[in-house]
Amino acid sequence: MNRRLAIRDLTLALGGLVSIPSWASNGWNANSLSISSSFFKTAEQNILEVIVETIIPESSTKGAKSLGVPAFLQKMLQDCYEAPVSENIKNGLSATDATAQKQFGKPFEGCNTQQKQQILLGFEKSEDTRLKEFYSLIKNLTILGYTTSEYVQTEFLHYNMAPGHYYGCVSVKK
Amino acid sequence: MANLAIDIKKQNTYDAIVIGSGISGGWAAKELCEKGLKTIVLERGRDIKHIADYPTAMKNPWDFEHRGQVPLDVRSQYPKGRAAFLREETLPFALKDGIQPFVEEKPFTWTRGYHVGGKSLMWARQTQRWSDLDFEGPKRDVFAVDWPIRYADIAPWYSHVEKFAGISGNKDGLQELPDGEFLTPIELNCVEQHLKKVLIKEYDSKRHVIQGRCAHVTDPQPIHLKQGRATCQHRNLCNRGCPYGGYFSSNASTLPWAAKTGNMTLRPFSTVHSIIFDEKLNKASGVRVVDTNTKEMIEYYAKIIFVNGSALNSNLILLNSISARFPNGLGNDSGLLGKFIAWHNYRGKISAEYEGFLDKITDGKNPSNGYVPRFRNLHSQETDFLRGYAAGVGAGRGSYSSREGIGEDLKNSLLFPKLNNHWHVSSWMMGECVPIEKNHVRLHETLKDPFGIPQLVTSAEWTDNDVKMVKDYMEQFTEMFTKAGFRNIKAVDGKSNPGSDIHEMGGVRMGHDPKTSLLNQWNALHLCKNVFVTDGACMTSTGTQNPSLTYMALTARAANYAVGEMKKKNL
Ligand SMILES: Cc1cc2nc3c(=O)[nH]c(=O)nc-3n(C[C@H](O)[C@H](O)[C@H](O)COP(=O)(O)OP(=O)(O)OC[C@H]3O[C@@H](n4cnc5c(N)ncnc54)[C@H](O)[C@@H]3O)c2cc1C
Ligand code: SF4
Repeated sequence: MNRRLAIRDLTLALGGLVSIPSWASNGWNANSLSISSSFFKTAEQNILEVIVETIIPESSTKGAKSLGVPAFLQKMLQDCYEAPVSENIKNGLSATDATAQKQFGKPFEGCNTQQKQQILLGFEKSEDTRLKEFYSLIKNLTILGYTTSEYVQTEFLHYNMAPGHYYGCVSVKK
Repeated sequence: MANLAIDIKKQNTYDAIVIGSGISGGWAAKELCEKGLKTIVLERGRDIKHIADYPTAMKNPWDFEHRGQVPLDVRSQYPKGRAAFLREETLPFALKDGIQPFVEEKPFTWTRGYHVGGKSLMWARQTQRWSDLDFEGPKRDVFAVDWPIRYADIAPWYSHVEKFAGISGNKDGLQELPDGEFLTPIELNCVEQHLKKVLIKEYDSKRHVIQGRCAHVTDPQPIHLKQGRATCQHRNLCNRGCPYGGYFSSNASTLPWAAKTGNMTLRPFSTVHSIIFDEKLNKASGVRVVDTNTKEMIEYYAKIIFVNGSALNSNLILLNSISARFPNGLGNDSGLLGKFIAWHNYRGKISAEYEGFLDKITDGKNPSNGYVPRFRNLHSQETDFLRGYAAGVGAGRGSYSSREGIGEDLKNSLLFPKLNNHWHVSSWMMGECVPIEKNHVRLHETLKDPFGIPQLVTSAEWTDNDVKMVKDYMEQFTEMFTKAGFRNIKAVDGKSNPGSDIHEMGGVRMGHDPKTSLLNQWNALHLCKNVFVTDGACMTSTGTQNPSLTYMALTARAANYAVGEMKKKNL
């Protein structure tokens, strides 16, 4: 159910008994993600964006980048993780470029899709726990940001805030 | 000056004082105000207005900046041990660090909700009645003391509170879990029904799976519409506050009702320090309150006082109410105040999978869950431990998407989750803890909280009886699940702390005799008859049922008794 419908149903359900509180009528637009510009350098932001898009790319369905997942990652890394973790992320971002240079003689951004995937999958299996943790956190946050986006929730995952019923035993739709 | 003092005294005088605005305090307020008593409700936390103060209630997953995770700088304001449970969704109701430190002489988990509505905004809304098999427990099995009441005393009050609160459930016809005034039941799903059938067959109709009775208005009656509450929308986002009033909370139900009478004064930010005992009148005359904003001490006066701070706080307030007549706490000649603390044993958990009904699925959300009423030692002693346990039980189908790989494949598995090729089944025990004297709370001799109130010391631990019960639960449920054809059965003893169940009880128990109990059959202190304790503190034993419905019924019963006594000029 989208917000407008949810609010409409709320109004109906309450039969006009209670006035709609301020949180329901204001502040319903997309989050204004406040990210302090100093947290990631522009170069770091660019690599992060390319990594996120490599993990979940745009095709006939939307990818992570066009759903704003890179900004979400920055927000999360800035606000929710201790300094050693975000330090490791910064290190990982430069290691990504360094690996691309070493393996393919160009920056990560300049690699083709297959090369980029190869680098990241390499991190996943790496003996270097710091690289492994770097990729694992980026990947998990990317999946979290992507799967909880409005687009994925409403168009694919049948998100419905207020189903209004519970049936305990229905046939699976083929 | 003298006149001014008299004026203030007059200004601060009410017919009744209610301490706490949670589940039980809300009921006290409603009943007393409806009967015409000018009532002040003193609540230590901030105000939370129904709907207006549920800021996360209508948020979608993507509306949360951190998708539920709490940022570090916010997290650091909360106690370390609880940090793992903090979520952006429920943060408005979480208790910050340092507000009320206490001393765990032995590990004890004490979950509190300090705001108007108390834990009624946070609870899981399960509402099961007690039966005489519970009230007669201490007498039959010789522990604690005999309850001064029986089911017949409380049954009409269960009906009274159920009709108003709105309880959904089936009439199951079980002696051990009496039926009540139920709204349309929520159905059990295929696997839960399957388990129900198996148990009836395999255990000679002595073990049952029912839908847990729960405080959700599935079909609102005129009394609920009058409260401004609407049909539960099956959102299962109840712990953010429900804008529909779909479930019972003080905020949605009892408090606005009390306010509408014009007789209620609600004073948030008011931490009750102690009860004032008047030696001449030989009864309580009022309470001392610390204003949590100004730290100023203020007195309020009334003819009757309802103590509803939640079980351990009610103990704390009475222990801290010291006078020449009661040097050990109000009404505590027996020395039993704070003793016989008990709770529910939630240690045992079990999970399993079932590969039947693979062509079936559930649709919508169930805000309740399946429930297995107590079947151990019901009519006679059968096991090597006293009493027994009930259990929650639930099954769900769930879906799965692989997080393996990268790129288009990963994306497609995330966008198109696959139905699990099994149902998952889980259960959690709710065992009766037998109260013992050694398990107690007391005041710390020197440590104080930020408001100058002594810190509470909790000293409670598991007994052999509890440990045997966990083992039996794990064995019996493994057997029952096996008989139902479930697989991959995993039973664990989580060894959680006492109190993790959030059903702490006792310390101010009811009983016949002032020598062996604190409260009489009307929840009044034997030795200070205008003070009523009707939250979990009054519980002589714990039963296996989620306790709040019983607190509601005892509160309504005591409030109506108190009003009657006031009319007869007995109080
Ligand atoms: C997650 C969760 C799930 C639960 N599930 C269930 C369930 O399914 N079924 C069930 O029956 N129970 C359940 N419970 C327990 C239930 O919430 C409590 O039993 C119930 O709220 C107790 O009611 P009360 O009035 O005693 O206390 P509360 O509801 O806790 O209210 C006490 C109030 O008193 C205030 N207060 C405390 N001290 C003072 C003071 N000194 N001065 C002034 N005010 C004070 C507090 O701020 C609070 O508002 C659950 C609890 C939680 C947290
Ligand atoms: S399940 Fe019902 S009560 Fe809970 S939030 Fe939803 S509508 Fe409200």
